[in-house]
Amino acid sequence: MTLGVLLVDDEPLIRSGLRAIIQAEADLTVVGEAEDGAAVTPLVRRLRPDVVLMDVRMPGVDGIEATRRLLAHSDDPPRVLVLTTFENDDYVFDALRAGASGFLLKRARPDEVVRAIRLLAAGDSLLFPAAIRELAAHHAPAAPSPGGLDAARLTDREAEVLRLIAQGLSNAEIAGQLVVSAETVKTHVAHLLTKLEARDRTQAVIRAYQSGFISPG
Amino acid sequence: MSRARALLAIPTSSSTWQRYAYLVIGAALVPPFGTLAGFVAPALEGGLGETAAWTLAITLCGIALPVATGMLPAVRELEIGAARRLLGVETGDPQALDATASWPTRWRSAAWFVAHLVVGGVIGTLTVVLPPAVVSACSVPFATGDVQLGQLDPTVPGGPGSAWIVPLALVSPLALVCLAAAAGGGLARLAPRLLGPTPAERLAALQRHAMRLAERNRLARELHDSVGHALSIVTVQAGAAGRVLDNDPAFARQALADIETSARNGLRDLDHVLGLLRDDAPSRAPVPTLADLPGLVDSTRSAGVDLSAELTGRIDEVPQAVSREAYRIVQESLTNAARHASHLPVSLSLEIGADHLELELSNPLDASPSHRQEGGGRGLNGIRERVASLRGQVSAGPEADRWRVAVRLPLHPTP
Repeated sequence: MTLGVLLVDDEPLIRSGLRAIIQAEADLTVVGEAEDGAAVTPLVRRLRPDVVLMDVRMPGVDGIEATRRLLAHSDDPPRVLVLTTFENDDYVFDALRAGASGFLLKRARPDEVVRAIRLLAAGDSLLFPAAIRELAAHHAPAAPSPGGLDAARLTDREAEVLRLIAQGLSNAEIAGQLVVSAETVKTHVAHLLTKLEARDRTQAVIRAYQSGFISPG
Repeated sequence: MSRARALLAIPTSSSTWQRYAYLVIGAALVPPFGTLAGFVAPALEGGLGETAAWTLAITLCGIALPVATGMLPAVRELEIGAARRLLGVETGDPQALDATASWPTRWRSAAWFVAHLVVGGVIGTLTVVLPPAVVSACSVPFATGDVQLGQLDPTVPGGPGSAWIVPLALVSPLALVCLAAAAGGGLARLAPRLLGPTPAERLAALQRHAMRLAERNRLARELHDSVGHALSIVTVQAGAAGRVLDNDPAFARQALADIETSARNGLRDLDHVLGLLRDDAPSRAPVPTLADLPGLVDSTRSAGVDLSAELTGRIDEVPQAVSREAYRIVQESLTNAARHASHLPVSLSLEIGADHLELELSNPLDASPSHRQEGGGRGLNGIRERVASLRGQVSAGPEADRWRVAVRLPLHPTP
């Protein structure tokens, strides 16, 4: 099975470089390109990519707004991987809050790029947990309420799984740590995602940091 | 007890002796003026009579001349240096002292100079008179006739009956040192007011400083963006070229060419901004305003840009702050145009009305994709910030078949 990728960046040289890197992999293929966030939603409908590589800063509709629109107007939206030049870019966290599943630095090595695309498509573990924690710490709410996720009514086990997800552990690793089967972990993850109304692990972790359920400090 | 210790600390502290030295320097400056008065007065005596002649001579040589001397900016600089070094006072940011030649500052300098001479003259005279008086006083118990105290007028009858004067005489130098310390302390407290910058000067210096910092911040941010952009392209293209080198040598060759171009652009931006930062630091050159626009137009043309410029209205009616920012906006727009549309004709129009100035810069859109508005108008951020700070409006983007940047700035602040 090949994973389809849509490239969105206003710089043609970034697109052509990423295209060459992705096309060199047998299991990945670039299904389309866009130079403006406004083109993303219609292109996704037509081309059905698995992952969208989205530049965060673009003239016109930027990556944050494009992500928001994409998730609002698609039934089964692809995962969004946000591209950024700078790690400490405020826009990155905004894009994650808008629903992007992860972010990737433009200076990432080619093997990191393809690994990130595969990891994100699999949805099995969190991309760059340390970097997300740092972003969350930087954007920590002024007065996080420890009971912020109370409404979600997570079970103790689910809360434990959420904490391990935030540390970047995959399902198999969580299963090993909790001494349960991988299937059980999958069930916990599915339940906690439903309860948090999160599309994926990244969104769940962002919610956990934002509510103060996990302290990023 | 602690008061006694504080009193004893005065003659042992180095600051006391440094301040003493400052006062003695002041005293040393008095004789020239006095001598001059001594020469001038007799010359006037014939015409005016003795009293009037001396009054006039002292007024001229003893008051007017020191005041005039104190007004010299060079004397002010000397006094500031000496006050810092010997009085140990901080007279404020030296950057704020630009306006040493302004009249309020000259008057304050003159007041300081006169105070230095008067207070120094008193302490200096006591310093010269006291030692012989002390020596004479010590001989009083052993003398048989009346004893004159040094050069001083009063005489003391000699003999053991006047022995009380000896301890008094021995303590008096200490009293003089304490007096000098107090006088020096007084001058030190006065120094910031007379030698320091006025509140207006300090405010102006702070404003200049803040403007410089803001400008540097903006330049640094732009540099961060443009060099980051160039290096991202270099990284991605180099990574891609490495991956496809064997299978797609044509792509790799193109990637190398793109890497070269991007790296060169990045270096050019770096060079440009570092040049600005370097120029910025020591420069006392006036900040350019719209009056400098013809020069900017000429230099843009000589850089190879086909530029047509049109100006209506009176530049000298634009307030300085608006004029400075407007010049920068034009400069940045032209830089952007030269960067993105160097081979296209650019037209610039500036219209100065009663309440607003309108600035428009446009060039035909380039159809070829390689010359697209690269980077999405990155250079526009600086312009937007400048326009926002003046509460103006800016629009930029393609319009019909042209790329157009239009700026409207109010000439006067609206409440």
